[in-house]
Amino acid sequence: MGPGLFGYAVRRLLWAVPVLFAISVIVFWILRLAPGDPVDTILGRHYDEERAAVLRDKYGYDEPVYVQYVKYMRNLFHGDLGVSTRHQDFTVSEVIWPKIKVSTQLGAMALFITFALGIPVGVYAALARGTFLDPLTISFWLALDAVPVFVAIPILQYLFAVRLGWVRLGWEGVWSPNIIMPLLIMSLPGVAGVARFMRASVVSVMHEDYVRTARAKGLKERTVVVTHITRNALLPMITVIGLSLPGMTAGALFTEQYFGIPGIARESLAAVTAPDYDVILALVLFGSTLFVLANVLIDISYAIIDPRVRVGARRG
Amino acid sequence: MSNRTLTLMMGFVAFLILAVGVVFVVILAAGGDGDGNGGSDRPSEGSTPTKKSASGGICGGDKLITFGSDPASVLDPIQVRDEGTSEYVVEVFGGLVTLDLSLKVVPDIAREWKVSDGGKTYTFTLRDDVVFHNSNRRVTANDFKYSFERAADPANGSPTVTLYLSNIVGVKERFSNKATEVSGVKAIDEKTLEIRVVQPSEYFLAELTYPVAFVVDKDQVQKNPRNWTQKPNGTGPFRLVEFTPAERIRLARNDRYHLGVAKLAEVVFELGGGSILTRYENDELHIGGVPGIELEAVKGGNSPLSKEYKPQPRMSVSYLAFNMRKPPFDDLKVRQAMAMSVDKERINQVLFFDSQRVADGILPPDMPGYTESVSAYSFDADRAKQTLSESKYAGKMPRIVLTYAGQGGDAPDVLTAITAGWKEILGIDVELQASEYSAFLRELRRGTFQMFSAGWAADYPDPEDFIDKLFHSESVQNEQGYSNPEVDRILLEARSESNKEKRFALYAKAEQLILDDAAVIPDFWPVEHLLVKPCVKNWPSVPMTVPRYRYIEIAATEE
Repeated sequence: MGPGLFGYAVRRLLWAVPVLFAISVIVFWILRLAPGDPVDTILGRHYDEERAAVLRDKYGYDEPVYVQYVKYMRNLFHGDLGVSTRHQDFTVSEVIWPKIKVSTQLGAMALFITFALGIPVGVYAALARGTFLDPLTISFWLALDAVPVFVAIPILQYLFAVRLGWVRLGWEGVWSPNIIMPLLIMSLPGVAGVARFMRASVVSVMHEDYVRTARAKGLKERTVVVTHITRNALLPMITVIGLSLPGMTAGALFTEQYFGIPGIARESLAAVTAPDYDVILALVLFGSTLFVLANVLIDISYAIIDPRVRVGARRG
Repeated sequence: MSNRTLTLMMGFVAFLILAVGVVFVVILAAGGDGDGNGGSDRPSEGSTPTKKSASGGICGGDKLITFGSDPASVLDPIQVRDEGTSEYVVEVFGGLVTLDLSLKVVPDIAREWKVSDGGKTYTFTLRDDVVFHNSNRRVTANDFKYSFERAADPANGSPTVTLYLSNIVGVKERFSNKATEVSGVKAIDEKTLEIRVVQPSEYFLAELTYPVAFVVDKDQVQKNPRNWTQKPNGTGPFRLVEFTPAERIRLARNDRYHLGVAKLAEVVFELGGGSILTRYENDELHIGGVPGIELEAVKGGNSPLSKEYKPQPRMSVSYLAFNMRKPPFDDLKVRQAMAMSVDKERINQVLFFDSQRVADGILPPDMPGYTESVSAYSFDADRAKQTLSESKYAGKMPRIVLTYAGQGGDAPDVLTAITAGWKEILGIDVELQASEYSAFLRELRRGTFQMFSAGWAADYPDPEDFIDKLFHSESVQNEQGYSNPEVDRILLEARSESNKEKRFALYAKAEQLILDDAAVIPDFWPVEHLLVKPCVKNWPSVPMTVPRYRYIEIAATEE
């Protein structure tokens, strides 16, 4: 990578800073603008001004919003994400990291299954083009995609747990067999999308000159499909995979709810309804950081592939 | 081999795999239907071969697995503010007094007490055999002194201390930083604690059963002020051995518990929520909950679960309140007419399959001081129409908006049914407006709502907690702006009445006046729908959160 590319990468990364700053300001203010604060829900129907004043003082909600913001940012730079009002003994980091970890582990496994199934299915559908097997395969996976999870989950739970007694439904950690069902529910619906993308990619590649050349050389059909067609068709898949990486950490709300998985989607819902200001902020900042970073990485990878992008960015 | 043949061969293999899959699913479905009578029926116990037998599985051993709500605060007695979190705290900690299963105030760490000075001084004598869980230190009067000081310290920001303990001399002053000590609590010696109260009160002891009055271990709190509640050193029948938010709470038996050691070795609360009924059916939980839409299927005669169904009445009431400062509810006739046109019985039948208790008053029947003769307006369409025609708003009804928050009050479908009734009988259009909970609370206090749906749950078993708190004209919780000088006078009299029967009679009188004024429309006394495995013995049905797990036992039943 040349000095031009390095400079471009640094510039793109620096641009992420004002974006994140703007996001933090907006989210901070919107939270405070909403009627009702955490003290309202803490005291509930037993609200009285005196206790509310003591609690607002304890959490610093009695100060003007910009003072609260400055304090928050100062703590943030010291790596302190604040305190959860819902779990008072836990700092925000202690509340969210274990959940991000669980959701990311499950998300990564689900993503792996989705692509591991989607790519071969797509290749197969493309090769079977023109026969009934192509639409049949794609329709089968589309049908799985079409069933809403909140319909599929109760039915599957009832079938495999109560009727057959094959699985237990409680949360026993990421490495227990109990996660097989939630994993499949998280991954199978995505297969159709990946497969269709892969199919299109393969179809556009399979009539290229180099494929014909490979066949003309007398290579085995297997080699042609695997080395020449699939490998080239996989290139555009990289963007798809890259873009789905941040989503991997986002958790899956219905699956987490139905299987009691202590993941980030459930925590987000609880934090928003509490409301738990610092936890909401941390989650939003975490999510937006990931998205901004993913976009920067994609831009940089484009710049590597196509030098014109770099030049254009410098002028603009 | 040509490209084409390869494709078709792969296709054939794939088709075989698919076909096998389809056949598999069909067999499963057929096998499933074989032992039931169709989709809605639940399978009978042990009918599927893979099912764990009733005597083994979770019915062996002495560990109870149930579900619980994720705590809304840490497990620190002075921070607890909701019943869900209290459920854990009352098992782990203890105070001077506690509530037994019939909701009577009984001694806990205090062996006995004397009341003197015209009801203004309580002298508690402590037991000498109470020790903290993780140390061999005995609980002394000084521990209580420290605990009360800690609760009232504004730096600790307890959301409940002035709610339940403001009758103790000095608590209010300490909380507002006007004093450095709670002057009304004194440790006379190791075993004697003196508490002075501002006003003699019949329910002061009941207030001491609330977690904010529990004893904590000073050494532990001071040594680890931030994280002590993750392994708190309490005095209750169980020790907290694990608390993982959103996952589980595990309690283990305290083998030295002074009021009788628990029979269960362990109680596990699963906090994950999600598919509780299915998990109960799958023998993963001893206690299950029934969601509203499954009630009919579970309670139905041929469902095996119907025998395990245990309705659990709660000491609470849900109601619709009129803001009497806003038209048209400044007119008694309008309120009466609307109260008479809510067909609670029918709503109960259609929406709840007759599983709720229709409220005929404000105080729930489990409440001490509940009076049978007190009654709300009953459903009477003709009388309602007649009453409305006499109102000054007849024919020129302003726009009416009913706000709800989906928490505490009625469910949206109940509200829809009620407003449909008003439309049908009185021709009044009431718009429903949903609100986010914290915003709802704030607007409730400001009195901006014209009409709202709310609920109230007992803090302690005394009618004062409902009638005085919700309807005295100066009470903060009187969000409907109800003001009746006669009711205020009776409530004031009740506050200082020391004879229990007379006091309850005063509250009954006030309640009847409030109902006649149609200040609110009480609609249901909520019931929680539980399932309890037959091997769980002595499952206590208590309408409030009290220490109860030490009474429970697991014994396999031979059937």
